[in-house]
Amino acid sequence: MAFEPVVLFFLLGAVAGLLRSDLKIPSSIYDALSIFLLLAIGLKGGVKLAEHPIGEMVLPGIAIIIAGALIPLLAFPVLRYFGRMSRPDSASIAAHYGSVSVVTFSVGVTFLGQKMESFEGYMIVFLVFLEMPALIIGALLARYGQGEVRWGKMLHEVFFGKSIFLLAGGLLIGYIAGPEGIKPLDLLFFDLFKGVLALFLLEMGLVAASRMADLRTYGPVLVGFAIVMPLLSAVLGTALGWMLGLSVGGTLLLSTLYASASYIAAPAAMRIAVPEANPALSIGASLGVTFPFNIFIGIPIYYWMATLVSTTGA
Amino acid sequence: MTAKSMILLTIISEAMLEAILADEIMQLGAKGYTVTDARGRGTHGVRRGNWTAGGNVRFDVVGDAELCARIVARLKEVYERDYGLLMYTSPVELQN
Repeated sequence: MAFEPVVLFFLLGAVAGLLRSDLKIPSSIYDALSIFLLLAIGLKGGVKLAEHPIGEMVLPGIAIIIAGALIPLLAFPVLRYFGRMSRPDSASIAAHYGSVSVVTFSVGVTFLGQKMESFEGYMIVFLVFLEMPALIIGALLARYGQGEVRWGKMLHEVFFGKSIFLLAGGLLIGYIAGPEGIKPLDLLFFDLFKGVLALFLLEMGLVAASRMADLRTYGPVLVGFAIVMPLLSAVLGTALGWMLGLSVGGTLLLSTLYASASYIAAPAAMRIAVPEANPALSIGASLGVTFPFNIFIGIPIYYWMATLVSTTGA
Repeated sequence: MTAKSMILLTIISEAMLEAILADEIMQLGAKGYTVTDARGRGTHGVRRGNWTAGGNVRFDVVGDAELCARIVARLKEVYERDYGLLMYTSPVELQN
């Protein structure tokens, strides 16, 4: 069985949503689950970071962030000129695709766990650093010198919105505590991680199902974009991972980061920075198409690409 | 003490706007407001409220007619075009 079983919970949620089951995860539980996941992923990254000298990741880090900024710059003209979408819609969707998804990344990490592959722990740091450039580029593309962006509110949303705040906080705590110091928290944050991820995916399935219903109105261009764009981004990630000499696991996670589209931080930031963009388009594409595509089909493909370059590249 | 006639202004909008609208309401001179989570359906689609970015909030503001008109005018001008926004007023008797 190639599937990581946690993704089946997503399917269960999606089926419940499509069949109009009365299954509903209370929003306070959803909030608690997301707080847990963000902190756990942050802690995990911080602990791994403490094991390596930080200097090692500066150069690859700069390359990863610069290459990541290419994604929204590539996505925007495709949507604007090929997809014939309005400037605000194209910019907002481009920002969603340039930004990253914590849950897709988490599924990538569990996928690697199942394959017994190790990865460079500092990849988790890029969950924090890849989010911001794409959102700022998106806001700039939407305006292109016309009209004002609510920068203050938007940057506040980006930096102090719970996702970046908790991830960065977790990283810091994990880094300070180190592998030994974090031991007492292992049981809660690391051992229970997969179970909580499964519950969260159940909810994601429910939300995605409610978005899939709108898909008919988006037209095939956006649906096609939502599948082709992650593949292209993953090729970029695989190539860069190979150039930087990352392990198979690290390359897979970099491709997954590039391929994933945000549906938590980006919608909030774009709703404020580019209010005239239709959120149903960006969220529908990222959550309704790209997210399921990545967790079911994308990650195994990116893994295959990463093993391919590692065997031929050496 | 006799009850005082006031206007209750109810504003239903996107949860993401909560902090922004709260600032606006206070800056326009309200003495306070009450916020509750809300969900429902309107011209901006179903707002199920089961997902942080997908819910609504409901503001209740009690004030005189002038204050309510000021808030309504400002929110209409800035937010109505791009955001889900529903506002209505009703006469209330303030008891304390």
